[in-house]
Amino acid sequence: MLESQILLQIAWTSVSTATYYVLFAIAFALTLKVAQLWNFAQAGIMGLAFYAMYAAMLGWNWPHPAGVAFGLAVAVAASVCIEVWGFRVLRGRRSSSLMIFIFAIVFAEFIAYLLTLVFGTEPQTLTRSIMSEVHLVGGIAISDWDLKALTTTAILCLALFAYLSFTQQGQFLYAVADNGELAELYGISANRAYLVSLVIAAVFVSFGIYLYGTRASMIPTAPLELMLFAVIATILGGIGSILGAGLAAIFLSVLQSASILVIPSQWQGSLTYFVLFVVILFFPTGLRLPAWIRRVARAG
Amino acid sequence: MEYVYSVLVMIGIYTIMASSFNLIIGFGGLISIAHPIFFALSAYASALVNLHWGVPIPLAILLGTLFAAAMSVMLSLPSLRISGDYLLIASMGFQLGFVEVIKNVDFAGGAGGLTGIASIYSGPSRSPAFVVTTLTIAATVVSVVHWLTHGEYGRAIRAMRDDEECFASLGRNPMAIKITIFAVGSALAGLAGALYAHYFQFLSPEQFGITQSALILTMVVVGGMGSTWGPVVGALLLTALPQAITFLNLPPSVMAPLQGMLYTGLVLLFLFVRPAGLVAKRLGQ
Amino acid sequence: MNAPRAAIRVTDVSKRFGGIVVAENVNLELRSGEILGLIGPNGAGKTTLFNLICGIHTPDSGEIWLRDQPLSRVPVYRRARLGIARTWQNIRLFPTLSVIDNLLMGPRRYPGEALLAGIFGARTRRADAQAARERAEEILARMGLSDARDKTPAELPFGQQKLAGMARTLMNDGEVLLLDEPMAGVEGQVYETIRQVVRDEASAGRAVCIVEHNVSFIRDLCTRAVFMFNGCIEQSGTMEELLASDKLAELYFGGRS
Ligand SMILES: Nc1ncnc2c1ncn2[C@@H]1O[C@H](COP(=O)(O)OP(=O)(O)O)[C@@H](O)[C@H]1O
Ligand SMILES: [Mg+2]
Repeated sequence: MLESQILLQIAWTSVSTATYYVLFAIAFALTLKVAQLWNFAQAGIMGLAFYAMYAAMLGWNWPHPAGVAFGLAVAVAASVCIEVWGFRVLRGRRSSSLMIFIFAIVFAEFIAYLLTLVFGTEPQTLTRSIMSEVHLVGGIAISDWDLKALTTTAILCLALFAYLSFTQQGQFLYAVADNGELAELYGISANRAYLVSLVIAAVFVSFGIYLYGTRASMIPTAPLELMLFAVIATILGGIGSILGAGLAAIFLSVLQSASILVIPSQWQGSLTYFVLFVVILFFPTGLRLPAWIRRVARAG
Repeated sequence: MEYVYSVLVMIGIYTIMASSFNLIIGFGGLISIAHPIFFALSAYASALVNLHWGVPIPLAILLGTLFAAAMSVMLSLPSLRISGDYLLIASMGFQLGFVEVIKNVDFAGGAGGLTGIASIYSGPSRSPAFVVTTLTIAATVVSVVHWLTHGEYGRAIRAMRDDEECFASLGRNPMAIKITIFAVGSALAGLAGALYAHYFQFLSPEQFGITQSALILTMVVVGGMGSTWGPVVGALLLTALPQAITFLNLPPSVMAPLQGMLYTGLVLLFLFVRPAGLVAKRLGQ
Repeated sequence: MNAPRAAIRVTDVSKRFGGIVVAENVNLELRSGEILGLIGPNGAGKTTLFNLICGIHTPDSGEIWLRDQPLSRVPVYRRARLGIARTWQNIRLFPTLSVIDNLLMGPRRYPGEALLAGIFGARTRRADAQAARERAEEILARMGLSDARDKTPAELPFGQQKLAGMARTLMNDGEVLLLDEPMAGVEGQVYETIRQVVRDEASAGRAVCIVEHNVSFIRDLCTRAVFMFNGCIEQSGTMEELLASDKLAELYFGGRS
C-alpha cells in the first residue's frame, strides 16, 4: 500500500518536473527541424532569460507576470540578434557546419561567463522560497507549482500544435523544413522561417526556465546541462519529430526520478551522460513510436 | 624565476594541446569539445599508476597517453558510426560525465583533487629541465602533426574532407582515418596531461571543464585552423595574454569569468572578422 | 573451360526512396570482357543502379554478387578494393588536390592509408608509393593529361576534367568498370580518347558498363545493351534489337514512331 503510494507520488512529481524539460526539448527539436540547426546557443538564451527574470523579480521587485514578460523580451531579442547577425551571416558565407557549431556553442559559453561575472556562481531561484502550497489528493501531494507548470506547458504545446497545423505561417515552417530551396522557389522565405522557429524556441525556453527557476536553483553553467537533456530527448524522440522530443523528455524525466530508487544519489549527476551514451549507441535514430502516435504526429 | 619557468612549461603544454586539437578539428574536421578530458584522463592515469603501483614515471606517462587514445576510441567509434553531428553531442556528454566521475571516485582524490603526485625531475635544476623537456616534446608534436597532415596521409585526409562518398568509392576507408586522427590527437592531449601532472604535482577535476575546451578552441581558431603554425601562435598568445591580466590583481571571482569571456569573445570575433585566423593556411596545402 | 560466372550479377534488386521506386526487380549480368550499354531517359534509375552496385545505397531486397561473393554486407570502400571501380556523372574530382594527387587516391591499395603499417613497414610503403606514382604517370600519358598533372581540377577545361575523372578510376585495376555518362558534353579528341580507353579496358578482360545517351556511341562500342525505365529493365539485347523495338521508342522518345 505504502509502496504504491510512493510510486504514484514519484510518477506524479516526475511528470510535473518533466514540464520544463518538455519545453526545452520542443524548442530544441523545432529549430533542428525547421533550420536543420543544432542550436546550442539555446543554452545562452536560457541563461539570459533566467537572469533577466531574476533581476526583474528579485532585484527590482517587479511582479511575476512583468518579470516573465521581461525575460521573454530579452530571450526573443537575443534570439533575433543571433539569427540575424550570427547564423544568417554564416549561412550567407556558406560557412561549414563546423563554423556554425562553433559559433553556437561558443556563444552559449560566452553568455555563461558573462552571467557569472555579473551574477556570480551562487545558486539563485526566482522566488524567495521554492516551497509552494500543497494539496493532498488521494494521498498524493499536488502542489500549486505542479498545476501551474502543467497548465503552462499544455497551453504552449496546444498553441504550437494549432499554429503549425492550422495557420499558413505554420505550414510554411514545414515547407521550409522539408526543403528550404524548394520553398524559396514558391516564394516562402527560408530566412523568415528560421527566424520564426528561433523566436518560438525563445518563447518556450523562457517559460521553461521560469518554471525551472520557481522550482529549483540555477547557476550560470546549468543551462548547458539542461540543454544537453533537451538534446538527448531530441535524438531519442527521433530527429525531425517535435512530438517525439516532447514525449522523450517526459520519458527521460520519469526515468531520472525513478532512478533515485536504485542509484546512489552521488551518481545521479552522471546519469544524464550515461543515458546520452546509451541513446547514441543503441537508439541513434530514436525510439520508434507506436504507429497511431506517428500518424497523429504526421497530421500535426 | 620559478614563475617564468612555469609559464614556459604551460606554453609547451598548450602548444601540444592546440596542435593536437587542430589535428582533430582543423585537419580532420571532427567536431568535439572533449579535448581537455583526454588530457585529464591521461594525467590521472599516469599519476595513479605511479602513485599506487609504483610504475616508473616515463612508463606511467606512456600508459596515460595510450589510455587517452583508447578512451578516445570509446567516444569516436559509436558516435561517428552514426554521423559527424553526434560526435559533438557525445563529446559534451563525455566531458561533463567524466568530470562528474572524477569528482566522485575517492582513489582519484575526488572533488578536492589529487595531491602528492611524483615529479620526474628533482633537485635545483628541476624547473629548467622541465622547460627543456616540455618544449622539446612540444616541438616534436608540432612536427609530427605537420608530417601527418602533409604527406600521403595528409593527402588522404584532404580528399576525405573534399568528398567523403567519392573517397570511399575509390577504396579508401573514411571511418578508419577519422578514428585514427581522433585517437592520435587525443593521445597527444594525453601526453600533455601526463607531463602536466608530473610537473605541477596536483590535479583537480575543476580544471578540465568547458573553460578549458573554450581556451583550446580559442587558440586554434585565433591562430588559424588547419595550419601548422596557427595553433602554436595561438597557444603562445593565449598563454601570455591572461598572465598580463593576472597583474591586475583582480579577485578570482571576477578573474575566472573575465578570462572565459576573453577566450570565447575572441573566438566569436575571429569567426566573423578573420575566420582563417592569424596564420591563414596556404590554399591548396 | 567452364563458362565463367558473370563478374557482376544483380538479382531481383528493388529499391525505393520514400515513395519513388528507383529499382524494381532488377536482374542484370555483367560479364568479363564485354561492354554493356545502359540506356534510358533521365530519372530512369541508371545512376542509382551504379550506386547500388558500388554500395552507396543498399537494396531493400535482392542481392548483388561479385563472382560468387554476395556484396550486401560489404561496405563501399571494400567493394572498391575488391575491384569495382566507377566514375561519376558529375566527375567529382577532389578540388583541393592536383590531378596527379587525385589519381594517387585511386589505387586499390593506398600506400599512405594505414598509419601504423606506414610507420613500421616504411620500406614496402615506399615501394608501393613509387609503383602507384609510375602507374599514375602512365595513365595520364595514355589520357593525354601529362601536362595537366600538377593543375587543380578547377584549372582544367571540362573535357580534361572528364578524362581526369576516368583516369582516377583506372587506377583501380579491378575487374569491373562502371562509367556514368562518360561522353556527356565532350567531343573531338577527348571523345576519341575515351572511346579508345573503353575498348582497351574491355579487351584487357574487364567488365565494362556504360550509361550513355549517345546512341551511335553505344552502337559502335557495346556488345549488348539494356534499356531501363522507371527503375525497371524493360528490354535487353543488341543495340539494333533495342532500336527496332516499338516499346523503347515509345518510352524513350515519347511515341515518336
Ligand atoms: N539519394 C536519393 N534520394 C532520393 N531520391 C533519389 C536519390 N537518388 C536518386 N533519387 C531519385 O531516383 C530517381 C532515379 O535517379 P537516377 O538514378 O539518378 O536516374 P538516371 O541516372 O537514370 O538519370 C530520380 O527520380 C531521383 O530523383
Ligand atoms: Mg544519372
